[in-house]
Amino acid sequence: MTDQEVDDVLQKAADSPREVSAQLLERIADSIGPSLRPVRPLPPNWVLSGALSLMGGAVALIGAARAGFQGFEALGFLSRVLILGALAVFIWAAARRAANEWTPGSPRRLSTGGLVAAFTVALAALFGLLFQDYRTENFVLAGLTCLVTGVLHAVPAALLAWWVLRRGCVLDSTSAGLAAGALAGLAGLAVLELHCANFEALHVLVWHTLVVPVSAGFGALIGWGLRHKAS
Amino acid sequence: MARYQAGDFTAARRLIDRISPQLHRFLDAHSATRADTDDTLQETWLRIHRVRHTYRPGEPLLPWIYAIARRVRVDHYRKAMRATARELPLEDLPDATTAAPATFGQAEDLEQLLAPLSASQREVLEMLKVAGMSLEEVARATSCSVGSVKQKVHRAYETLRRTMSVRELKNDHSGVLP
Repeated sequence: MTDQEVDDVLQKAADSPREVSAQLLERIADSIGPSLRPVRPLPPNWVLSGALSLMGGAVALIGAARAGFQGFEALGFLSRVLILGALAVFIWAAARRAANEWTPGSPRRLSTGGLVAAFTVALAALFGLLFQDYRTENFVLAGLTCLVTGVLHAVPAALLAWWVLRRGCVLDSTSAGLAAGALAGLAGLAVLELHCANFEALHVLVWHTLVVPVSAGFGALIGWGLRHKAS
Repeated sequence: MARYQAGDFTAARRLIDRISPQLHRFLDAHSATRADTDDTLQETWLRIHRVRHTYRPGEPLLPWIYAIARRVRVDHYRKAMRATARELPLEDLPDATTAAPATFGQAEDLEQLLAPLSASQREVLEMLKVAGMSLEEVARATSCSVGSVKQKVHRAYETLRRTMSVRELKNDHSGVLP
């Protein structure tokens, strides 16, 4: 049997009409009728993504302004361009994904989990390339301080993201939480890159990079919890 | 849809009349009874109505509708599973394996044809064949990539080719002419 023949059989079966009772259609129309009033459609995806990216950038700048720009000042020109450039691109990509998660029927080429994994690997590779000091002093304590600082800065970013996207509709709250968490985590990481002047390779590679998957994980957990509670 | 968003009841009614039959068929796959499917359809339209502002005019409509319908279907299924740990008597269950085989070439019941497929493969074929959506639109509705949709279709066709060939063979042996 060929694909064409299978296709013909399927098409024939699909073309057979499906009757839906007129009373049911009437009931559906009646149930939406009373609350039918004009609504304003969501703004285009690029507007939402732009707003989310600006919000991420603002959180990073405000956070670093409060903590100090020691890290940015100590970085070389090339490192500044590469790190901040990569963060800007990733924040834009995460913002687009978050906006898509809040809009049903949006296109996607990669799963949100895959996107977070790609961010993490790319950041680790970039940090591994730029930082060559392999000494470790106070590895755990200094690292935990940075991780907590990054994640704490991700909280306002996540709240702002939720505010920007509040009119949207989430169909998969775990995935939406993952996307919003990743975006917030990238904002938190940007604060660290502007503030932290500890350039030990392992410190940056492990603890700074961890901010993104940890925030994304928290986001996914919250999303999963909300879904569970709602159902 | 744009007129529905603008508050036009006639447009909403026309949309409901036009889309409901194919949505009903789509929702039927995971429902125990016809009444259950009717409830899910109504719930889907209520959800669509509640979030109608999330549709952007100019974007493809069917992926947006089916993405919401999928979610409602999953929610409804989970709720039903939790609320009633119902056990249907065995004799009430439809037996796909002993159902009378339809003759090849004759218009068969789509649900019966797609029975050997996994839920995700069935869903993709329903969207492609019943709703007439493109691969890109199915990818949007199912939140996955076009490549993944193509792979599901390919595997589904493989399974269907196998099942239909076996069925044809059985029909030949039992003397039923194609």
